[in-house]
Amino acid sequence: MADRFILELEQVSKHFPVRSFRRFGQVVHAMDDVSFRLKEGEVLALVGESGSGKTTTASIIARLYPQTSGKFVFEGKEIDPGRSGKRNLAYRKKVQMIFQDPFSSLNPTHTIFQILSRPYVIHGDAAGKKGLRSRVQVLLESVGLEPPAQFIDKFPHELSGGQRQRVNIARTFSVEPLVILADEPTSMLDVSIRMSIMNMMLEYRETRNVSTVYITHDLAGARYMSDRIAVMYAGMIMEIGPTEHVIGQAFHPYTKLLRSAAPAPEKGLKRQKLVTHGDIPSLIDPPSGCRFHPRCPFKMEECSKRIPDWKEVDAGHFARCFL
Amino acid sequence: MRNSESSKQVLLEVRNLQAGYEVKKGFVGAVDDVSFCLHKGEFLGIAGESGCGKSTLAFAIMNLLRDNARIRSGEIDFQGRLVSALSGEGFNKIRWVNLSMVFQSAMNALNPVLKVGEQLCDAIHAHRSISAQKAKERAQQMLQLVDIGPERYDSYPHQLSGGMKQRVMIAMALVLEPQLVIMDEPTTALDVVVQRTIIEKIQELQQQLDFSVIFITHDLSLLVEISDRLAIMYAGKIIEEGPAQDVFSHPLHPYTHGLMNAFPSLSGPIRRMGGIEGKPPDLLDPPKGCRFFPRCSQVMDRCANTYPPEILFEGDHRVACHLYQGKGDIQNG
Repeated sequence: MADRFILELEQVSKHFPVRSFRRFGQVVHAMDDVSFRLKEGEVLALVGESGSGKTTTASIIARLYPQTSGKFVFEGKEIDPGRSGKRNLAYRKKVQMIFQDPFSSLNPTHTIFQILSRPYVIHGDAAGKKGLRSRVQVLLESVGLEPPAQFIDKFPHELSGGQRQRVNIARTFSVEPLVILADEPTSMLDVSIRMSIMNMMLEYRETRNVSTVYITHDLAGARYMSDRIAVMYAGMIMEIGPTEHVIGQAFHPYTKLLRSAAPAPEKGLKRQKLVTHGDIPSLIDPPSGCRFHPRCPFKMEECSKRIPDWKEVDAGHFARCFL
Repeated sequence: MRNSESSKQVLLEVRNLQAGYEVKKGFVGAVDDVSFCLHKGEFLGIAGESGCGKSTLAFAIMNLLRDNARIRSGEIDFQGRLVSALSGEGFNKIRWVNLSMVFQSAMNALNPVLKVGEQLCDAIHAHRSISAQKAKERAQQMLQLVDIGPERYDSYPHQLSGGMKQRVMIAMALVLEPQLVIMDEPTTALDVVVQRTIIEKIQELQQQLDFSVIFITHDLSLLVEISDRLAIMYAGKIIEEGPAQDVFSHPLHPYTHGLMNAFPSLSGPIRRMGGIEGKPPDLLDPPKGCRFFPRCSQVMDRCANTYPPEILFEGDHRVACHLYQGKGDIQNG
C-alpha cells in the first residue's frame, strides 16, 4: 500500500528511575517495547486504564523526555533520543499536544490573547501586534468561540471548562501541526459538551488531513473518533488494528475485558458477569511473560514464561497472545 | 427487572424540596421544587451534569447541608416519618442507621491517619453499644463482604488502591444495615474495569441485603443499565422521570434526547452525534420559564415565560415540557 507514515515507533521503551531509598536502582517500566506506525491523516486511539502507559507514549512522541531505548522516526528521519531539549522548535511546531486538564493547562495570569499569541511569537511568524490580534480572532472563531471579541481579553478563570478546552485546542491548531497528540481531551468535561469537542477535532482532521493520536480510557469514544485502536496494558500494546475489528472481533482477553466492562445500555439489564480478579500489576516489578497473565481467564503455562510474539489475527489486526 | 409495583412500600418521599446556598448576591437554588418517590428495594438513578443540583439533593436528604447551605422549603418523608422536621440531634439517630451515604471521592472521605478497620469500628460504636471485640468482628465481616481480606483491617487508606478504598466506603455505608444508601458518583474517578466490579458488587449486595439505592452520576449510559428508575435533573429541577428502560428507549424531554445523543455506542453504525450546545443557566437568576429553553432545539414562545407543568404518561413516566401538553395519558392539574 502506498500509505505514507508520518510517525514510526520501533520497540520504544521508557523506564523511570524510582526515587526511593529502599528501591534505589529499580525502575518503573512505564512503557515497554511499543511499536506502531501512524499514517498521514490517520486517527489512532490509544486505549487503556490509568497506568497503562498511554500518556507516557504521548509524552515520548512530544519529546517531553527521551526514550530509554528503541527507535523513533518522524517524517522518515530518525529522531535522536538526546535531542529532547527546548531547542527542538521545528519539531514542536509539527507535533502538538492537547492536555487533559483544561483547568491547569492555561496560565491563569494571562489573557486568552496572550495565551494564543504566544505560539505565533515563539515560532517566529508574528506579523506585528495588530496582525497578531486579528489572527487570534480568526483562531477563536475556528474553535467556535464566537464572537471572538467577547473572549479575547478574558482570563481563563472567566471561561467554562468546555470553553477553556476550546482555547487549548485553538493553541494547538495555531501552528498548523502535522500530528496532534490528544491526551483525554474530553474526560474532564461535562457530557453535553464532550461531543462538540470531539466533532470539532474530527472536522479539523477532515479539512487539514492532520494525524492524531487520541488517548482515552473510553472504548466507545475511541470507536467514534478513530480509524485504528491500540489497546495498552501495563506499559505494553496488547492488540492493535482497525477500530471496528478490534471492537467487534476483539482477540486479546484484555480487550474483551475492557469491552465487557464498558456500559452498554442497549444490551438491556442483565449481562454476563466479568471474569477477572486482581489489579493492574506493579510496573516496578512487572509479571514475567505476558503482563496480563495474572488476571487472564485463559492463562496457560507458556504465558508466564515469555512475552507472546505478535500474531496477525486478520489483515492489519495484530494481537500479542498465545491463544 | 425489579420493577416497582404499586403494592410496594414507599421508603422515601421528597415533596417540593427547595434547597441551595445563601450567597452575597442572593440565593442559589441548586434544588428547586423537586419531588419524587423511592420504593423499598428500588434502585433509582439520578443523572445530570455538574452543577445541576444532584449532590445538593443528596446532602439535603442526608441532612448534611452546612454553613451557607440550607433547605428552604419542602418536606422529606422517610419510612413514614417527616425527617426534614427533625433537629440536628434527632437526625443523628437515624443517619447511618437507617440511611447512609457513599461519598464521591473515597480518597478524601477516609481519614488518612486512621486504619480502615478503626474507621469502620468508629461508625459502629457511634450508634451501637457493643464490645470492641464484637465491633471488630463486624468490621472484618463487612470488609469480607466487599472482597477485602480481613488482614486489610490494619491497613491505612494510602496502602489501598482506589477501587479498594471505594469498596471500604461501601462497607462503611452498609455496616449498620441501613434501608437506604445514597451513592454520589461512587465510581467516577475509577477505571472502567474497576468501575464494573464495584457496580457488580453493589448489585450483588443489594440483592443480598435488600436496601434501596439512590445512585447519582453524570454517566447516563451506566445508569440506564443498572437502575430500575431514572430521574434526569437539569438546573435544579427533575425534568423527566420514569422506568429506566422507558426513559432510554423513549426519551421525552429534548434535554434527555440530547444527553442520550452524547454517548457514542460500542455497537451499531457510527453516526455523527450532536451533544448540546450552550451551557446551563446561572442558578442565581434562572430563566423564568423552562430552564432548558435557551439551549432547546424545539423551543416555543411559551417556554420562555411559564415553567411547563408535569405531564404523566403510562407506566409512571413523567416529563416537564410544553411539547407534551394535552398528550399525557393521565392528566393532572
